[in-house]
Amino acid sequence: MTTLTTGVSSPSGVSPPSGFRQIGSARWRRRNLTFDKISFFLVFLIIPVAFYVAFVVSPFVQAAYFSLTDWTGFTPSMNFVGLANYGKLFTDDTFLKAMGNNILMAIVVPIVTLGLAMFFATLVTVGGSTRGNIRGLRNSSFYRVVSFFPYVIPAIVIGLIWSQIYDPSAGLLNGILTRLGLEKFTSFAWLGDPRTARWAVMFVIIWGLVGFYMVLFIAAIKGVPAEVFEAARIDGAGRFRTAISITVPLIRENVQTAFIYIGILALDAFVYMAALEPGGGPNNTTLVMAQQLFNTAFTKGQFGYACAMGVVLAVITLAYAGLVFAVNRILGGKSEVGE
Amino acid sequence: MDINAKQLGRRDFLRGSLAMAALAATGSSLASCATSGTTSTSETSAPAGQVSDTNPFGVKSGSTVEAVIFKGGYGIDYAEFAGKQVEAKQSGVTVKVTPVTKVAQALQPRFVAGNPPDVIDNSGAGLIGINTIRDQLAELNDVIEAKNYEGTVIKDTLYQGVTQPGTFDGKFIVLNYALTVYAIWYSASLFDQMGWTVPKTYEEMLALGAEVKGKGKYLLGWGKEAATYYQTLAIASAIKEGGDEVRLALENLKPDCWSLPPVQDVFNGLKKIIDAGYVKPGGSGTVFTAAQAQWSEAEQFVLYPSGGWIENEMKDQTKSGFKMTGAPEPTVSSSSKLPYEALHSTAGEGYIVPSQGKNMAGGKEFLRAMLSKEAAVNFAKTKLASTVVKGTVPPDGFGSTALQSQIKMLDAAGSNIFSWNFVDLYGMNTDQLVVWNTFLGGGSSVAELTKGLQEITDKVAKDDSIKKVPVS
Repeated sequence: MTTLTTGVSSPSGVSPPSGFRQIGSARWRRRNLTFDKISFFLVFLIIPVAFYVAFVVSPFVQAAYFSLTDWTGFTPSMNFVGLANYGKLFTDDTFLKAMGNNILMAIVVPIVTLGLAMFFATLVTVGGSTRGNIRGLRNSSFYRVVSFFPYVIPAIVIGLIWSQIYDPSAGLLNGILTRLGLEKFTSFAWLGDPRTARWAVMFVIIWGLVGFYMVLFIAAIKGVPAEVFEAARIDGAGRFRTAISITVPLIRENVQTAFIYIGILALDAFVYMAALEPGGGPNNTTLVMAQQLFNTAFTKGQFGYACAMGVVLAVITLAYAGLVFAVNRILGGKSEVGE
Repeated sequence: MDINAKQLGRRDFLRGSLAMAALAATGSSLASCATSGTTSTSETSAPAGQVSDTNPFGVKSGSTVEAVIFKGGYGIDYAEFAGKQVEAKQSGVTVKVTPVTKVAQALQPRFVAGNPPDVIDNSGAGLIGINTIRDQLAELNDVIEAKNYEGTVIKDTLYQGVTQPGTFDGKFIVLNYALTVYAIWYSASLFDQMGWTVPKTYEEMLALGAEVKGKGKYLLGWGKEAATYYQTLAIASAIKEGGDEVRLALENLKPDCWSLPPVQDVFNGLKKIIDAGYVKPGGSGTVFTAAQAQWSEAEQFVLYPSGGWIENEMKDQTKSGFKMTGAPEPTVSSSSKLPYEALHSTAGEGYIVPSQGKNMAGGKEFLRAMLSKEAAVNFAKTKLASTVVKGTVPPDGFGSTALQSQIKMLDAAGSNIFSWNFVDLYGMNTDQLVVWNTFLGGGSSVAELTKGLQEITDKVAKDDSIKKVPVS
């Protein structure tokens, strides 16, 4: 017995609490020096941070600095002009219009896309027969695959396909509408009429993204135990009530993340616009900030001014993310991500 | 405590990573502004070789000439042809021809770093705005004063006025190589068959519109990216009507330049045609090549204002027996200041020689080769377009009616050839497209069109950060 206890207790034979402390600190000291620990820090912390600083942070800082200059983009030298570019920016009608378009898109696109995605995800996972096990509609895996198709096609291809579909004279859409007897759609320019252009391009973006977010929500809903839905059903909740009161609150964090990602996309939207409305659309109704930035930099040769646009775009994007967090918190979310 | 602290750390980390993701996504737009460093090297060109009659710029034997050529409608084989000529004439010199499609994006870092190529074909939709680099370009007067490979002074072999569009503030820095004639294009076979004549004024155009409409066709049509072809037409007509005064007012971004009477007359002439319903609707939603095919293949409309590249551009989408032919832009009245035959012609494919290039002499020698008779004939024959070198197109136009008519129009115009730079120089086209798409679609009045164009002009005129090029 004595041999056993000495084997377990500390060799110095001091009282248990202080011995415990001693062992702890000794362990820490040993760990600090291991090759494992140092290499771990190096590989997972220092190298990524160095890369991040070199390739992400420093271009940001550089761009922010250029936004304070009159750099044309093709000279090694430039003059410091202070905040003049920003002053110009907020009196520039075209840029303000582009900003307005982006903000409208950042409101409409996420709400419609995620609403539809949630609707379909619910149908496919828990919206099936109200008898027996909780399940989706019949052939739900087929719908799931089909709805993902648009996401597999690159955005630029989606844009090009739809610009053909919208073609006033030879396009599929007007072809169908005129065949149905709607003569006023003969040669109607969906992308060329200020009343329809922005909705037409938003439709394309939404069409391209619904499938992806649907799959994302399906994965989240599958993570909720089926008993929760069964309990709700026993309590007499219908499909709509289940979706609003059970599904959405339980996958709140996924919805928030989805909102942020799709909002960032809507604030950019450069690829879709480059294919559908390279010129900014009728009366600039589809012009986005990224397009205006690109034109300012490369066609007008005003890189300093373009950098100021980039900085404003970045600030708006961060503000949007902050707004989504805030709204989620106000609506009772725990606001922490990824728990 | 310990566990809690750890959990908080993890939360912070995840929150941080989400913020990073947001940052990274915006980063693409921000980072596009960043450079690869700004090292300024003001090194002069490589020591020159022996200057002689056969080597007027003193290209050094054993040196390399780097030519970066825009690869668009004309390809790069004609430049490679010229490169071979340089190699044959100057022993020991190698020419490296590199194709590029987005000139500004590809070469921007090299201009910043101070090591641009020796010669560049600055063309295409992604060209570098000359205004931003004109201080960094070599003057090319010595090129056109040199003798070509056949022994004639190059200046004497060129068409009238071809150096003017490449001259900024009195300095000739851009050699535009491919001659472009702007005109109203039509199918000679269709016009013969219907007994129509090409309109010489806007009144005649309106009258023709009624006849054309009677045959179930439209008079004009447009595509969304090319709506400003009608601006080009309108400016040309206005300059013919009002003379140099109009051209200078526009070029120098004068207040109310779009309200000058000749300009307004042309706008009103166009507006009558639009209001009469002679313009094919839906152009603002149609890709311009599709719109052009409605003209050249489906013959849904019968007149199209464009540059001489139109034949090559629509080669695969032109009805057989179309006989594409050009006619000068109409005037407003028969008493215009310049005759109806006056022609808007300029040259495209702007070749530049950066003064910081390693082998500036080599770059100039390359241009000398391009301007040789042999290279110019080769270009005309393979591209069905004339270069700025005279007399390279035979009367049969290598079998092309469009090329024949271009040469005929140039001969008829004589010295009445004009062009302007301000639209491309200040990068206004993108903004103007918007205004023109609306106008052509019938969505705005002449007053609104004028106001829109004047605003775009005033914005540039008032912006002190944009260097102006005075034109006289």
